[in-house]
Amino acid sequence: METIIFISLLFLLVFCIMAVMSHSLLKSAIYLGFASATLGIIMYVLGAKWAAVIEVSVCSGLVTVIFISAISLSSMKKDQIQRHYNDKKRMAYLPITLIVAGVILVVVALTTDFTVTGSAVGIAEDFREVLWNERQIDVLGQIVAILVGGIAVDVLFRSGQFK
Amino acid sequence: MEILDLKIIMLIAGLMMIVAGCYCIIRTYHMVKIIIGIEVAMKAVTMFIIMGGYMNGHMGLAQSYVVTAIVIEVIVAVVLAGVTMNLYKKYGNMDIRNLIQLKG
Amino acid sequence: MNYLDLSAEAFLLVPLATIIIYNICPKKLSEKYFYVFAAAVAIIQIIASVSMFYLMNVLHMREHNFIFLKVLGKSGMGSLCITYFSPVFLFCIGLVSFASVMIAMHTIDAKKTHYVNLLMTLITGMNGMILVKDLFSLYVFLEIVGLSSFVMIAMFQSKKGLEGSVKYLVMSEFASIFILTALALIFMQTGSLSYDAVGSFLLDGAASSQKMMIYFSVILLISAFAIKTGAVPFHSWLPDAHQSADTAISVLLSGIVIKIAGVYSLIVLTRLFSGIEAVHVTLATIGILSIVTGALLAAKQNHFKRIIAYSSVSQMGYILLGLSTGTTLGLIGSVAHVFSHAVFKTTLFTNAGALHEHFESLDINEMGGLQSRMPVTAFSSIIAFLSTAGIPPFTGFWSKLLIVMALWTSGNPVMAGAALTASIFTSAYFLRLQKKVFFGPLPDRLSEVKEVTGSIKFIEILLTAVTITVGVLFPMILVYLQNAGTI
Repeated sequence: METIIFISLLFLLVFCIMAVMSHSLLKSAIYLGFASATLGIIMYVLGAKWAAVIEVSVCSGLVTVIFISAISLSSMKKDQIQRHYNDKKRMAYLPITLIVAGVILVVVALTTDFTVTGSAVGIAEDFREVLWNERQIDVLGQIVAILVGGIAVDVLFRSGQFK
Repeated sequence: MEILDLKIIMLIAGLMMIVAGCYCIIRTYHMVKIIIGIEVAMKAVTMFIIMGGYMNGHMGLAQSYVVTAIVIEVIVAVVLAGVTMNLYKKYGNMDIRNLIQLKG
Repeated sequence: MNYLDLSAEAFLLVPLATIIIYNICPKKLSEKYFYVFAAAVAIIQIIASVSMFYLMNVLHMREHNFIFLKVLGKSGMGSLCITYFSPVFLFCIGLVSFASVMIAMHTIDAKKTHYVNLLMTLITGMNGMILVKDLFSLYVFLEIVGLSSFVMIAMFQSKKGLEGSVKYLVMSEFASIFILTALALIFMQTGSLSYDAVGSFLLDGAASSQKMMIYFSVILLISAFAIKTGAVPFHSWLPDAHQSADTAISVLLSGIVIKIAGVYSLIVLTRLFSGIEAVHVTLATIGILSIVTGALLAAKQNHFKRIIAYSSVSQMGYILLGLSTGTTLGLIGSVAHVFSHAVFKTTLFTNAGALHEHFESLDINEMGGLQSRMPVTAFSSIIAFLSTAGIPPFTGFWSKLLIVMALWTSGNPVMAGAALTASIFTSAYFLRLQKKVFFGPLPDRLSEVKEVTGSIKFIEILLTAVTITVGVLFPMILVYLQNAGTI
C-alpha cells in the first residue's frame, strides 16, 4: 500500500508543477485533471472512498469550466499568449524554490519529532451517517454556499444592463 | 526515526504543493492561471485532511470535511470564473496587469 | 419553546426564510418593495439580539446552547451556542444591515433582487460564524461571508468593482488555504475540530509534545484571520475593495464584515490558544503596526471612501491590541470597540453616500465649505470623527479607554502609551478631511449643493443619536459590568 502512495505522491507533485509551469491553459487544465485523478487514487488507498469519487467527479467538471473559458475567450494565438504572459519565464524559479522548500522541510522533519497522539485504529465511521447526523450545520452551510454560487452565476455571467 | 515515514513524506509533498500553488498565484499575470494555482493548493489541503482522518481513525469525519471543502472550492472557482469573464468583456484579455485603476 | 430559544433560532431562520419568501413573491412586488424585506430582517435581528442580551443577563447565563430547528428531529440542524458577548456582534450585524438597506434605497437602481438575496446570504453567513462551536463550521460560514462579499463588490460589473473584487478574492484565497492547512494539522492531532475538543487538547499535556505543529498552525491561522481583518501587513486589498463597491455595500464591508470575518475569528483563536504567549505578542505587534500605518496612509489619500477605509485598518489595530491582552477586560474593550467602530464607520460611509449624490468622484479636493449647505451630514460626520478620535463622551472614547485600561492592568504600559499617542494620528487625518470637506469658505460652484433627503438623512440622524446616547450612558454600562464582576 505504501508503495502505491509513494508513486502516486510523486506523480501528484509532478502533475501539479506541470499545471503551474505550463503556459498553455489547456495543458494546465489537463495536468490539473491528472493531478485530481492521482489524488483520487491516494484517497481511495487511504480508505476515503466517497471523498475520492466526489473529488474526481467534481474536478472533471471544473476542468471543463476552465476549458470552456479558455477556448471561448482566447482571441490570441498561441505564440502571442506566450509572449504576452511569459508564464514559462515567470515560473522559471519554481523548481528551485520547491527544492529549497523541500530541503528545509526535510531538515525540519529530521530535527523535530512528529507523532500523532490519536489512535490509528480505524473507528468504524460511516461517512454518510457522520455527515447527516453530526455535521448538519456544514450541510446547511453547503446549501447556502451553493445558493451564493447560483446568485453569482446569475449576476456575473449574464451580460445585461450595466449601471 | 526513519525518514521514509509515510506521513512525513505526505506532509512534505503537500507543503511543496501549497508552495507551488501560492507561487503560481503570486507570479502569474493570467486570471485563469490564478484559478489553477488555487486548485493546486486546495488539492494539497484535501490530501492533508484525508491523511489526518487516516492517522487518527476518524475517516468518516475527514470525508465529510473534504466534501464540504470541495463544494466551497468549486463555488470559489465559479465566482472567480465569473469575474474573469467580466474582465474579459471589459478589457479584451485576462491580464491582471489591467487592474491599475485603484491606487494611492 | 421559550423566548430564549425563539430569539436564538431567529438569527439563522429569518434570513433563510426571507430568501425563500422573497423569491416566491411576484417580480414586480419584490423589485418595488425590496427594502421592506431587507429592513424587516435587519429589524428582527436587532430585536432578537437585544432580547437575547437582556434575557441572558437576567438569567445570569454565560452561554446558551441550543439546537437549531429541533422540530426536524432529535439533533435538528446542528447544535449551536451563544456566548455572553455574541449578542453585541449580532446587534451590530442588524444595525449595519439596516443602515445598508436605507442607503441602498437611494443608491441602488438596478439588480435590487440580487442585492437582497446576497444581503440575506451575507447575514446568514455572519450569524452562522457567531453561533457555531466548531472550527470547521466557522471556516464554512467564513467562506459564505467572503463569497457573498466578492459577488456584492463585483455586482455592478464596473471596472473598479471587478478590480476590487479580484484583489479581495485572491487575498481571501490565501487565507482559505492557510486556514484549511492549519485545521488539517490540528485535526491530525485531536480527531475533532469542535472548540471543546481543541481547547481541552491544548490544555492537555499532550500538546506540549507537538509544540512545533501547534505553533505552525497558530501562525497560519493568525495570518489568515489578519488577512480577513485587513490588518497590516495584509491590508492592501481593503481600501481597494471598500472604495470600489457601491456605498450601500461598502457600509457592510467596512462596518461589519471585517469585524465578523476577522476580529470574531481572532477572538475564537485567542480563547482557544490562550495558553500560548506568542499569540498575544503577535497580535500586539500587528495591532500597533496597523494603527500607525493605517493612520499615516489615510493622511495621504484624497478619496473620501479611501480615507475612511484606511481609518478602518487603523481602528482594527486598537481591537487587536485589546485582544492581545488575553484578559476579560481586554475582550470587553475589544467588543465595545467593535460596537463603536460599527456605529461611527457606518455614519462616515453614510456621509460618503450623501456626498456621492453631488460629487461623482468623491475627491475631497473638489469639496469645501459644505457645512452650510449640508448641516446634517456635516454634524453627523463631526460627531463620528470625535468618536473615532476618542473624545469624551462619545462611544469611541469609552471603548478606547477600556482597551488602554486592559493594556495597563495586564502589565503593558508601553503599549498603552503607544495606543494613546497613536490617537493623535487619527485626529490628524480626520481634521484634514473635515477641513477640506465641511469647513472653510464655500466655493461658488458648490452653491447649488443641497442637503440629502429621505432615508440617508434618517440613518445619519439615527446613528448620531446612537453614538451620543450610548456614549452618555456608557458609565452606567461600566458600573453594571463592575457589579457583574467582569471588570
